[in-house]
Amino acid sequence: MIISAKSALKLIGITIVCFCAVFVCTFFLNFYLDILPLRSKVAELMLPLYDAQLATAQMCCSVTGGVLALIAGVMVIFYVTLYVDEHSKELGTLKALGYSAARLALSFAAFGLSALIGCALGYGLGHAIMPSVYEWLTIEGLTVEIHYHVSLLFALVIAPPILFGIVAYVCAYVKLKKPALEILKNKRKERKVKANAKPIKNKNSFLKEISIKTVSANKLLTFFVTFSCFCFSAMVQMGASMESLVDGTMGWMILAIGLVLAITSAFMALTSLVRNASKSIAMMKTFGYSLGKCVTSVFVGFIPFALLGFAVGTGYQYGLLYLMVNLIFKDVGEIPNYSFNVGAMFITLAAFIMCYAAITAFYVAKINKVSVKEIMLEN
Amino acid sequence: MIFVKSLYKSYNNGKTEVLRDVSLSIDDGEFAVILGASGSGKSTLMNVMSGLEKADKGEITVNGNNLNAMTDKQLTEFRKNYVGFVFQQYYLLPHLSVASNIKLGADLAKNNDFDEIIQALRLADKLNKHPSELSGGEQQRVCIARALAKKPRILFLDEPTGALDENTGRDVLDCIMKQKEKLGFTMVMVTHNQNIAETAQKVILMNSGKIVDIRANKTQKTAYEIGW
Repeated sequence: MIISAKSALKLIGITIVCFCAVFVCTFFLNFYLDILPLRSKVAELMLPLYDAQLATAQMCCSVTGGVLALIAGVMVIFYVTLYVDEHSKELGTLKALGYSAARLALSFAAFGLSALIGCALGYGLGHAIMPSVYEWLTIEGLTVEIHYHVSLLFALVIAPPILFGIVAYVCAYVKLKKPALEILKNKRKERKVKANAKPIKNKNSFLKEISIKTVSANKLLTFFVTFSCFCFSAMVQMGASMESLVDGTMGWMILAIGLVLAITSAFMALTSLVRNASKSIAMMKTFGYSLGKCVTSVFVGFIPFALLGFAVGTGYQYGLLYLMVNLIFKDVGEIPNYSFNVGAMFITLAAFIMCYAAITAFYVAKINKVSVKEIMLEN
Repeated sequence: MIFVKSLYKSYNNGKTEVLRDVSLSIDDGEFAVILGASGSGKSTLMNVMSGLEKADKGEITVNGNNLNAMTDKQLTEFRKNYVGFVFQQYYLLPHLSVASNIKLGADLAKNNDFDEIIQALRLADKLNKHPSELSGGEQQRVCIARALAKKPRILFLDEPTGALDENTGRDVLDCIMKQKEKLGFTMVMVTHNQNIAETAQKVILMNSGKIVDIRANKTQKTAYEIGW
C-alpha cells in the first residue's frame, strides 16, 4: 500500500469541505424534491413564497455545492501533487523496479475515501437536522413530508468519492508518467524554476525579493489563503445578516460552516507553506536573520491576497443576499428590506485581523523550532 | 579569537555524548582544520563554535562573546555580526537566482558592493541563473560568495568539497584560500580528508568526541599541491 493511513489523515481538508457541501445540499435538495410536486396544493396567495423557496434551494445548492465541489477538486489535485513531491524517492524507486504509472496511480484513487467520509457524514447530519429545516422553510397551508430520495444518496454520497478518486488517479498518473530518474530527482520544481527564470535587474532587498518569490512559488497555496479569507469574510457577514433577516439558527449554521472552511483551508495552506519554506528559514536563521524577519519573508507577501479574499467575500455575501431578498423574495411580504451591513463588516474585519494575528503567532512558534540541523539530517 | 575550554555536549538526554572535554584556541586570521572520521564530533564542535548549538558544559568565547551564556536571540545577533557558513550540500534557496542567494548574505551586512567577490568567484555570468541550472562546483562557489558577501570575521566550512569531484574540489578550495588570504578572516574547516588538512595552519584531530591531537603546519600547501 503506497498511501499510508497517516498520509490519508492529512486529507482531512477534503473530508471537511465535502462534509460542508453535502450537509448544505442534502436538506436543500431534499426539500426541493419534496415540494416540487406540491405546487398545485399551494394556495395562490402563497405561490410567490413557494417559488422563492424553490429558487433559494436551487441557488444555495448550485452556489454552495458548486463552489465547494470545485475547492475539494483543487484540494485533491493539491494533495496528490504534494504527496508525489514528498515521496518522490519511494515512488521513483518503485517505478525503477518496474511498477507502471497506472498501477502506482491506482493507489491514489484511495484519496476518494476522504471524500466518502465527508459526504457520508454531511448526508447523515443533513438528514438529522432536516425536520428543523422543514419547519423553518414551511409554507402556510402546505404540509411537506420528509421523503428519502435514492437519487440524492447517489448524487451526494456515492458519486463525489468516485469522481474525486478518478481525479486523483488521473493527476497521479500524469505526474508518474515521467521516467523513473526524473521522479527520483523530483525534477518538476527545477523545470518550473527554469521556465520562470527572468533576468534580475531590480534593486529589491533580499527580504522583499524572497517574499515575492515565496508567493509566486506557491500559487496554489496563495489561492487557498485567499479562499480561506473569502470564506471567513463571506460567511461571518452573511451569518450576521441572516440573523436579522430570517432566522437565528440559519445564521449560526452559516457562521459555523464559514469558520470551519476558513480555518481548514488556512491551516492546510499555511502548514504547507511553512514546510516548503523550512529550508529557506533554516538558512536565514543560520546566517543571523531574526525570527521576525524570517516570519516576514514567509507571510508578508500573502497579506494582499488575504485582504483580496476578504473584499471579494464581502462583495459576494452582499450580492447573494441582495439577490435573494430584493429579487427572489421581492414578492414575499414578510421579508424586511436588505441593505449592506456596515457594522457586521467592521466587526468581521476586526475578528479577521485578530484571527490572522493568532494564526501567525502559531506559525511563528513553529518557525522558531526550525533548525539547520534538522534540514541537514534530511539530506 | 576562538577559545574553547572543557566543552561537553550530548544528545538524547545525555545518553549520546558527542563532545567530551574539548579545549582549543584559534587565533584571529588563522586557518584551522578540524579533522576526524564520521561521528567523531567535528561537525557538532563547529556548530557549537559558530553559535548554531549550545554546549551542555564548558566555556566558549568567540571574539570576547561568551556563547554559552547567550540567549537564542543573542546567538542570532552573534551569527549575524561575526559568522559566515559554507556547507557540503550548499543549501542555496532553489527558487531564488544566484544574485538573490548572494543577497541573502550581503543584505545582513548592508553590503551593496560585492561585485569583487562575484568576479573573484567567477560568477558574473551566472547571476541570473537558478541553482538547478548550475553544476556542483558552481553552486559551491555561490555558497562561498553568499558567505563572503556577509563580510564575516570567521568563516565556518563544513566539508565544502565533500560533494565535489577532485578537479572541482581543488578549484573550490583554491577559491576559498585566495579569498581568505585577501580578506584575512579566520577560517575553520571541518573535513575528513587528511590531504586538505595540509593546506591549514592548524590541524585539530578528533576521535570519539575528543581532541586527540592539535598540530601546527610549518608550511601550508596550496589546493593544487595536495593529494586528493
